Amino acid sequence: MSKSGWLRGTTVRKGLGSSQNTRASTPQVQSTSTTIFGGGVKDATGKVSEYSSMEDQCPVCKSDRYLNPKLRLLVSACYHKMCESCIDRLFTLGPAPCPICGKTLRKLAFMPQTFEDLFVEKEVAVRRRLAKEFNKRREDFTDLRAYNDYLEQVEDIMFNLINDIDVAKTEDRIKQYRIENAALIEANIQKDESYAAQLREQEETERSTRAERARELEKEEDEERRAREAVERELLNNLEHSSTDALKLVAKSRAELAKREQARKASAGAAQSRAGVLRSRAVMSAIPDEPHVPLQDNWYAYEDKFVLKDDYFDPLSEAVKKDREGIMRAGGYRVEEAWERAIRCAVAGLDVPPSSELSAVQSVVPHVDLAGDVVMASA
Amino acid sequence: MDAVEKANAERQKRWIKDQKVGEGTYAVVYRGHEASTGKKIAIKKIKVGQFKDGLDMSAIREVKYLRELHHQNIIALFDVFSSKTNLNLVLEFLDADLELIIKDRSIVFLPADIKSWLAMTLRGLEFCHRNWVLHRDLKPNNLLIASDGQLKIADFGLARDFADPGYKMTCQVITRWYRPPELLFGSRYYSTAVDIWSVGCIFAELMLRIPYLPGESDVDQLRTTFRALGTPTEEDWPGHTKLPHYVAVGQFPKPPLRDLFTAATADALNLLSKCLIYEPRKRISARDALNHPYFFALPNPTNPAKLPKSASQLAPRPLEEVDGNVDPSGSAAAPGTKAAGTAARLKRKASVSEAETRAVARRLDFTLSSSQRSP
Repeated sequence: MSKSGWLRGTTVRKGLGSSQNTRASTPQVQSTSTTIFGGGVKDATGKVSEYSSMEDQCPVCKSDRYLNPKLRLLVSACYHKMCESCIDRLFTLGPAPCPICGKTLRKLAFMPQTFEDLFVEKEVAVRRRLAKEFNKRREDFTDLRAYNDYLEQVEDIMFNLINDIDVAKTEDRIKQYRIENAALIEANIQKDESYAAQLREQEETERSTRAERARELEKEEDEERRAREAVERELLNNLEHSSTDALKLVAKSRAELAKREQARKASAGAAQSRAGVLRSRAVMSAIPDEPHVPLQDNWYAYEDKFVLKDDYFDPLSEAVKKDREGIMRAGGYRVEEAWERAIRCAVAGLDVPPSSELSAVQSVVPHVDLAGDVVMASA
Repeated sequence: MDAVEKANAERQKRWIKDQKVGEGTYAVVYRGHEASTGKKIAIKKIKVGQFKDGLDMSAIREVKYLRELHHQNIIALFDVFSSKTNLNLVLEFLDADLELIIKDRSIVFLPADIKSWLAMTLRGLEFCHRNWVLHRDLKPNNLLIASDGQLKIADFGLARDFADPGYKMTCQVITRWYRPPELLFGSRYYSTAVDIWSVGCIFAELMLRIPYLPGESDVDQLRTTFRALGTPTEEDWPGHTKLPHYVAVGQFPKPPLRDLFTAATADALNLLSKCLIYEPRKRISARDALNHPYFFALPNPTNPAKLPKSASQLAPRPLEEVDGNVDPSGSAAAPGTKAAGTAARLKRKASVSEAETRAVARRLDFTLSSSQRSP
């Protein structure tokens, strides 16, 4: 199972998710809503991936995914889940109390859920908020000790906010920090931004080089083709007008072509695509793929020298026979198989001459009959 | 020195131990070679004395069945000898398993490769079944690959022969992801169909390249199974609600297999669905499966010599990969033994998540079988 399934944001066909849902415990549905503000975690493509599972149930109206496959749960500012229709019902007419904890909520402040555990959701939100302001770096401190103390302090604040401990006091602490370090925060934000810009630029250059290379390759191929045509034309010309031996001329132009070809191949390098590997494997060896032969021995060629009866006197199987439609049936057990085995084992070695068995004793190989088949020997 | 000891010493001399390649709770595996020919072998030294009742049950089972089963697609047991108090099994040396190949993302599987592996698995299994042996632990990890590409079924530590009527079998067998619903529902009377279910799961895994039914617990395994294949009705599977551990885990509709296996042929899906029939009596047998049109349709199964190999299989690797036999769970059950280190290095999902159940399974199995035999 992919560990980062929820981050990948692969599209799941709506209303039919069950086959996909069987494959990962946290299947994902991509956000399609535009009413969301904030919240959620964006994946590499910039889309918010949403958590959903077969067990989802709206705590307010108790509707679940079985009844409503399109169920979509959103998370409130107080980290309670409810479904879209409940949100519409409760908050369309303006702010109203949360049906679970009573905190006043607005419709727009609901966000999509990315993580199965809402606690994680909250932690991510808090960390994201604080990371904007608590952005000091190692260079901003004189020694490692001070930097570590600062990190410790940040973790303290985060812990308090996440677990709702002394929220008012902590908020004051943040405010004070903001006032004290306003200039440094601003500078660091700018540094981050310029770094991001630099990264973008780098990517851009890489992309353009790649495009450039592709163009060059195309041009090269074009030239190559033209050159070959020129050679051919020249050959035809020579054949028509010159007095040299025709065979010699043809050989000369062939050699020229071959040389060119070789040079091109060498420059193309060993860049071989995956499909290429596959194709080369298909033709790799001269070993042919034989048509399927179900069994490679003649075990079933023997004709049984016994006939299995419908029933036997067998006190041990009384319980099984009595329970023909019960638990033994559902498990797939057939008493007939036990009878067949008993009879087969009893008659299996009858045609084997004793001498072959004697010679086999020396080697490690146990009792094997002439055809190389094993005869079940009882211990 | 009496005759028995002499014979034993003679045998021991035939085999040379080279280096240790892995260690589990109940066995250490060495790479070695035959003194006279230099043929590569693996020596599995079973530790005695860890278990109060003498030899571990799985070792006894392994010797018992491997001594009798000789087939191209079943691992060969060359010799058994004892050294001091230890029991040594001399096994064929195989350097890769199917799990390793499935997980190697650099390998591309052709449909013909899957066909070839599946046919070899079924041939080995058919041989077990025709000799009245249930393997009861089929999974990619236990399907080893020889250097000539032949697939060999290994780990007969959970195998047993068909039960006589009146003898119960344990339902705590088969690694969970490959365990059929009748065992999950606690059936104590079952048949060869349990192995076929595992083959179905392996077939699906070969096509998907990830485990098909990865349940997180026994109940979750049922839920996962039903979600993938639909909840069985009384009509699909008569009598299943009467099984000892029956629990209702919810109603799921049956989605078409085609939704998940988008690239499979109709024949392949037909065979897969026949391996995964709920009613064990209707589930296809190994012999019928080998005669299924899937195998006769083009492309022909890849010649074993041409099957893809994992690049990493050349490097010496720890125990499970050499011989799927040693139970990594053992180290979880008995921390402090040397084995813990080996298991930690082997972060192999299936086996590790399986750890606890497996430890219990083997224990349980042991006591049950010995009590069964006593009357």
